[in-house]
Amino acid sequence: MSIVKFSNVEKSFGPHKIFNGINLEIMPREVVVVIGPSGSGKSTLLRCINALESIEGGDIRVDGFSVKGGRNDIRNIRLEAGMVFQQFNLFPQMTALENVMFGPMRVRKATRREARELALALLEKVGLSERANHYPAELSGGQQQRVAIARALAIRPKLMLFDEPTSALDPELRQEVLKVMQTLAEEGMTMVIVTHEIEFARKAGTRLLFMEGGKIVHDGKPNELLLSPPSERLRDFLQHVV
Amino acid sequence: MSFDWSAVIAAFPQLLQGAELTVFIAGIGLIAGISVGVLLGMVRAFGPAPVNAAALVYVAFIRGTPLIVQIMFIYFALPILMHIRIQAVPAGIIAIAVNSSAYVAEIVRGSLLSISKGLTEAGLAMGLPFWKVLVFITGPLAFRRLIPPLGNQCITSLKDTSLLLVIGVSELTFTGQEIIADNFRAVEIWSAVAVIYFVMLSAVGLFWQYVERRMPIL
Repeated sequence: MSIVKFSNVEKSFGPHKIFNGINLEIMPREVVVVIGPSGSGKSTLLRCINALESIEGGDIRVDGFSVKGGRNDIRNIRLEAGMVFQQFNLFPQMTALENVMFGPMRVRKATRREARELALALLEKVGLSERANHYPAELSGGQQQRVAIARALAIRPKLMLFDEPTSALDPELRQEVLKVMQTLAEEGMTMVIVTHEIEFARKAGTRLLFMEGGKIVHDGKPNELLLSPPSERLRDFLQHVV
Repeated sequence: MSFDWSAVIAAFPQLLQGAELTVFIAGIGLIAGISVGVLLGMVRAFGPAPVNAAALVYVAFIRGTPLIVQIMFIYFALPILMHIRIQAVPAGIIAIAVNSSAYVAEIVRGSLLSISKGLTEAGLAMGLPFWKVLVFITGPLAFRRLIPPLGNQCITSLKDTSLLLVIGVSELTFTGQEIIADNFRAVEIWSAVAVIYFVMLSAVGLFWQYVERRMPIL
């Protein structure tokens, strides 16, 4: 049984058609890396999964819940899909610890004590225990993004969505974020990652999607696609990214 | 001429009474005005089109007419139109409330819209409904950005109460004028009135400065 299923998804921004019938199934424990030129629809694809973008035609189901199923279904989808953003989007008025505690307390109805324990454990997991009481503005980009990952994990999702998680980071800070993501992948978390990190796709990905012009052009094993690109277009793209 | 301190001392108790009424009218008027303004601002920022349009018309109309005309209208025209009697002080409070609400609405709209959309998305992506994102995340952040312009509005509205002299509300300015009509001590009394305003407005300024220090903009 797939955990995410796109059936004939259509999506437009105003008069501009983005998706014209996308079909895609993602299985539990898959680590799906989505690459492609900017404007190809990768981020939109990701954002449709948790209904941050609405779709006009077709359906997306996440663990049985439909993005078109109304408020309750969307809430359930969002509880099952943690999201990490390019710009981190940590809540600036809260410390790292409070950021991570926020989800459990406000959406999972955990007590303060439970939330605190969980948050401390997750901050330790991303290597930031000693930064728990710092505000986002006092953390480096890499640290902020790791807090953001901990915050997303704190709602106990079955699936993690990453929207260019390292694109706003200096090269040296990317590694600390990618390492955390790789650990998650190794633990069996289902992940969908929009990124330009080809090396990460090779190491941690179980599946690679190449998108262009709102279509999934290639869908296969990262090693196979990256070592012998089946199209001129992908070869070209890889040459420019790597 | 010499500055006659005795005239100031003699007028002082009466002037203080005027100042008290000034603070009372500005205080109640602003509490009401800010409450209504916050609601209007949220409607302007996130409300559905018809309500939004209604709020826009209200704001445009209030901002597009002089306060003194609004005061006259509420005190002299409204009773005729609605067959009610309205006292000068309540009319003054209503005028200050209505007038400040329009400006506060725009301040609130601006600060709500200035909060990064990414933060709203981060909240929504956790499964929170929009109103909870507003209450727990973006609202408190917007409030911090609201503090400086809100302080401005409080200062403006407090000074605006002086216009209520046109309907005979015995606030500070009106009181000063009445005293001068009696004793012809324009220099002394207007100086005293100015100083009392300055002290009150400085206090308002200091209060908002304190709030801002406690809740800095992030």
